[in-house]
Parts: sequence; C-alpha cells; structure tokens
Amino acid sequence: MTGLNGDREAVERLVDAALASLEANRARIDDLNVYPVPDGDTGTNLTMTVRAVADAVDHTSAASRHSLARDVARGALMGARGNSGVIFSQIVRGAADVLGETNEPLIDADATARALRGASDAAYRAVRRPVEGTMLSVIRELAEEAEARAPGHPPIGELLLDLVRRGEDALARTPEQLQVLKDAGVVDAGGAGLVELVRGVAAAVTGEPIPEPQPIEEHLSHDAIHQELSKFRYCTVFLIEGEDLDRDALEGELEKLGDSLLVVGDPSAIKVHVHTDDPGAALSVGTKVGTIDRIEIANMHEQTQQREERLLSLVPDAAPAKSGVVAVVAGEGNRKLFESLAAQVGPISIVEGGQTMNPSTADLLRAVQSIDADEAIILPNNSNIVLAAEHAAANADRTVEVVPATSIPAGLAAMVAYDGSRTAAENAKEMREAIEAIATGEVTIASRDVQMNGIPITKGEWLGLAEGDPVAGGPDFDDVTYAVVERLLSEPRDLLTLLVGRDGAELQGVLDRIAKAHPDVEVDVQEGGQPHYHLLLSAE
Amino acid sequence: VEAGHALPSPLGRITISSEAIARIVGETARECYGVVGMAGRKWLPDRATRGIEIGGNGDGVTIDLHVVVEYGLNLAEVASTIRNRVSYEVERLTGLSVRAVEVHIDDVRRSG
Repeated sequence: MTGLNGDREAVERLVDAALASLEANRARIDDLNVYPVPDGDTGTNLTMTVRAVADAVDHTSAASRHSLARDVARGALMGARGNSGVIFSQIVRGAADVLGETNEPLIDADATARALRGASDAAYRAVRRPVEGTMLSVIRELAEEAEARAPGHPPIGELLLDLVRRGEDALARTPEQLQVLKDAGVVDAGGAGLVELVRGVAAAVTGEPIPEPQPIEEHLSHDAIHQELSKFRYCTVFLIEGEDLDRDALEGELEKLGDSLLVVGDPSAIKVHVHTDDPGAALSVGTKVGTIDRIEIANMHEQTQQREERLLSLVPDAAPAKSGVVAVVAGEGNRKLFESLAAQVGPISIVEGGQTMNPSTADLLRAVQSIDADEAIILPNNSNIVLAAEHAAANADRTVEVVPATSIPAGLAAMVAYDGSRTAAENAKEMREAIEAIATGEVTIASRDVQMNGIPITKGEWLGLAEGDPVAGGPDFDDVTYAVVERLLSEPRDLLTLLVGRDGAELQGVLDRIAKAHPDVEVDVQEGGQPHYHLLLSAE
Repeated sequence: VEAGHALPSPLGRITISSEAIARIVGETARECYGVVGMAGRKWLPDRATRGIEIGGNGDGVTIDLHVVVEYGLNLAEVASTIRNRVSYEVERLTGLSVRAVEVHIDDVRRSG
C-alpha cells in the first residue's frame, strides 16, 4: 500500500486503532506523571481527548476531506482534557489543516510528512517557551523522520513503522532533555501517549495486532511517587507490625497529618504511605499500636531544588542603584503607575504636584537628597516645574539630570526607559529619546474665553490639546477628545494610552470611534486620578 | 513599593515581596502550554512581571494574571493548567498559601 485512504470510514478505523492502543496503555501512562505537570493523569486525559476525536469522526456529516478535517480538529479542540490533551488538540489541528487542503484520495508518505510538519509547527507556536523533553520534542522528531524518509516514497506501512521506532527513540531521550524526568527515572507521559497513538495507526495499516499493554515497570523509580503533586514536604513510608491492627483506625489517625495516604495490609502487618510535614507524628501513630520497621522518609522538595534555585535566582537582589528618580506627579493612579515602573529597577521619590500646585525648589531638593542613590534624575512632568527642577539640580549635593518631561504621559514614557543601574547622564539620554518617540495630548475645561491657533475657545467648554497646542474646543467631550486622538494618530502608532482624571470621563463613545477608525491601534485605559485634566493621552 | 507577604518562622518573620512572587508567576506562566504572551499594561515593556498583579494579605496570596493564548485552543483547559501550575509553584517556592489565582485571557492570537 502506498498511501492511506483518506475517506471517513478509513479515518474512523485509524482513529479507533489509535484509541485502542492508547487505552491499552492508559494506566501505565498515568503512572508516568511527575511534577512539574500537575496533570494528574496524562493517560486518562489523552484518552478522553482522542475519544472526542473518534466521536467527531463517528458523527460527522462531512462530505469532503476539507470538512472532515475541520470536524476532526474541532472535536479535538472541544474535547481537549488537561495539558496533554490541549497539546494533542493543537497537533491534530496542525495535521488536519494540511490534510484538509487536498482531495487526493490517498495520503502518501509525502503528505504524511507535510501533515506531521504542520502538526509540529502548530504545537510549537502555541507556547511562549517550548519545553524540550515533552510531547513537543516527540512530535518534532516524528516530523523530521517523515521528512527524511518521504523522498524515497516508502510504502505508508513501512513509513509508519519507522515513525514508531523514531518516536520510541525520541521518547527514550526525554529524560536527558528534562531533568525532572531523569530525577524520577521516567519518560514523558504525554510523549508516551503520542507514541502509542502512532503505534495504533501503524498496526491498523500493517495488519499487525496492537501489542499487549506493557506492565507497569517495576523499576519505576521510588522518586516518581515522591514527586506527586503534594503540598507536604516528607514522603513517609513504614511498616507497622503487631496484633489485631485496626486499619480503619490507623487511617483515621493518619489522614489528619497529611495527604496521599495509603494504609494497606492485614491485622498483623500494615504498610503506611503518607505525605506529611511531620513524619515523627506519623511514626508515633505506628509505635502506639505496634512496632515499626522499614522506615523511609524522603524530602520531596529537595529533588526539585535545582529548578527551584534557578527560578529563585531570577529574582534579583536589589543591587545598589547608581541613579534614582524624582517625579512630580498628580493623582493617586498616576503615582502608582510611576512606582510600578520603578519597581525592581531603581529608587523613586514622588513629589505631589502639577498644573495648579507647583512644588518649590526646596521640595524637589529635599526629594533628591532623600533618594538612596549616588545620582538622580528629575521628571518635572509639567512645563511650569522645569525651572524649579533645574534650580534643584544646580543646588543638590549630587549629580542631577533634569529630563524635561512636560506631561504625565511623557514622564511615564521616560520611566519605561529608566534603569537604576545606569548613571543619571546615561538614563537622561535614553529617557529623552523615549519622550521624543511619543506624542501626548490633554483634554480639559477651558478656564477663559480665548482664541488660540485660530480656534475659538469658550470658557467652560471642552478644550483639547495635542503636543501642547490647542486642536479643538467645543461643548461635546467626544468630539473634542476624538480630534485630539486623530492628531496623535496622524503618524502611524501602535498604542494609545488614556489616563482618566480625578473627575472621571465617559470614554465609551470615543473608544468606539477609535476602534472603528483605527482597528490596529491598541488602547490602554488607566485610572490616573489627576486633577484639572479630565484625560491625558499618549500615542507611541 | 508594596509591603511584603509575611511568613512566620521561629526566628522572626520572613517577608516575600509581591515583585518576587510576580517573577515566579511570570516565569511559570510563560512555560504553560497555550500561553503566547502576557497582556496587561501595554506601555510596560515585556518585563518578567508584565500582566501580573499580586494581592492579598494575611489569609493568603491572590494572583491575577493577564495572558494572551494561541487561537484555536480550548481556553478553559489552558486556563485550568495555568491556574494549577501557578498556584503550585508559588506555594512550593515561597511557602505562602495561595488563596486565588484569577486567569484573565485578554486576547487570543493566531501565530505563524
């Protein structure tokens, strides 16, 4: 046979064979589970997912390959159970997308290779950081094997048997790729399921019987048990010997101490397995009723310590900062935004103030001297405060750079570029560039009648400014705001940030207009809480 | 900066900052199958803690994460995996108890 028949009945037979092969190995695969996948039962989850695919094939009314492929992919998506099921559904989708494109009656080696490549690529692109030593590495190697064989146009049965061998080989190498598998002495459970599925398909095509399920391997490392998901630290195992031991009473005592409890045996000898934080208490339960023997206590958390250390090492110690920031900010929300941008990056001191409340040079100087860093950067965030900031810089006991941000959004853009491990001068350069790269705007209420840039502004009406210049005035908030937005988006921009003022603003109308006219621009609305300006805007 | 989360110990309290917890959450979430990105405050660069909010005090940590998931995946299952793994890793690495993990799928994206 050179190819697989791709019609519904043939697909149904293949799926059923794959499912039978997986079902036969379900318990064995369940037992392969180890942390870090708290996916209690990979074999079961995967089996249920494949069953959903089989149901979809059974019930489809698809008349073409294309619609059959779509129904299969949909069945996998809807039926996906657990992490392994989700990965499998993506594998199915990738393969179905490729196979659904053609109506060639036979699926040959070449089409199989393309389908597996599609499956592998789809599986990989659905995760930010693919982890090797999982189902992903197995499907990738299957694709590579098929691609290597396809040019020789092997009969499909032969190709499938090669795929089973390559899958087994890839699976056997998963412990070398993922330390946690090696520690537990097991192979990846999801990968094992995938190999069984291919084995089932190969058996159906070649007419070979599906191999008997392999017994659970006795040499399965004891560590594998210890790595079950548990919030308790010690896996405690011991034997109690005595007379008339009451299994139920022991169980009742022990279950107060932890979880994963197993109490098995007869009245003369009972084996106990419990995960607990207090192994001593568990042992005492035994010594009260008999003698204890064959005690094993394992620290389950120790085995994963390496990974733990790696993760914790990602949390940096606060290195002494070379430079810190003094920012003049109005509004509780805006204060939090500045603080969150400085978090883990360097020290910040916020001075309350803005348009109507200008801090003095002395206020700024005090903030500069309070910064726990050799140098400082001042973000005045308002044109009226730049001069005071420069005076403070000239009189400070340390090197101070003023980055002349003249609005809150400009200051926030500058903060994104700030890094406390750099000097003030280095930061100032980066922060100025960040401000150059954005456009800012404001919406407020005019405080007097005035004619600006040829636009008549009436006291008490809305006034919109872009880059400091009035661009619109009038009684309608939406119209004025949208005029500012249009001006900010006159250059191509990706992101519009809106900071809502203390007095609030009804944004829905404006947001609808932006979504319609600029569907590609992302809009981020934040509670700024500033007085005076109902809305502050920036586009980048 | 927010106050830390306290862990009692015989020789005094241990405090773990929200930033530290957020880092662990971020690292873990990025390894979860289906997660193609973190959402959240858009003007933040893609720092480790983007899209993650840590809250709660005393009676357990609460975690909110905003993620972008690959189009065409079963969102409920992806979210459930994220919730389990994040809760497990935070409890295991910090010893703090996790009261709630709220997974917000802010967007889906069709990659490639």
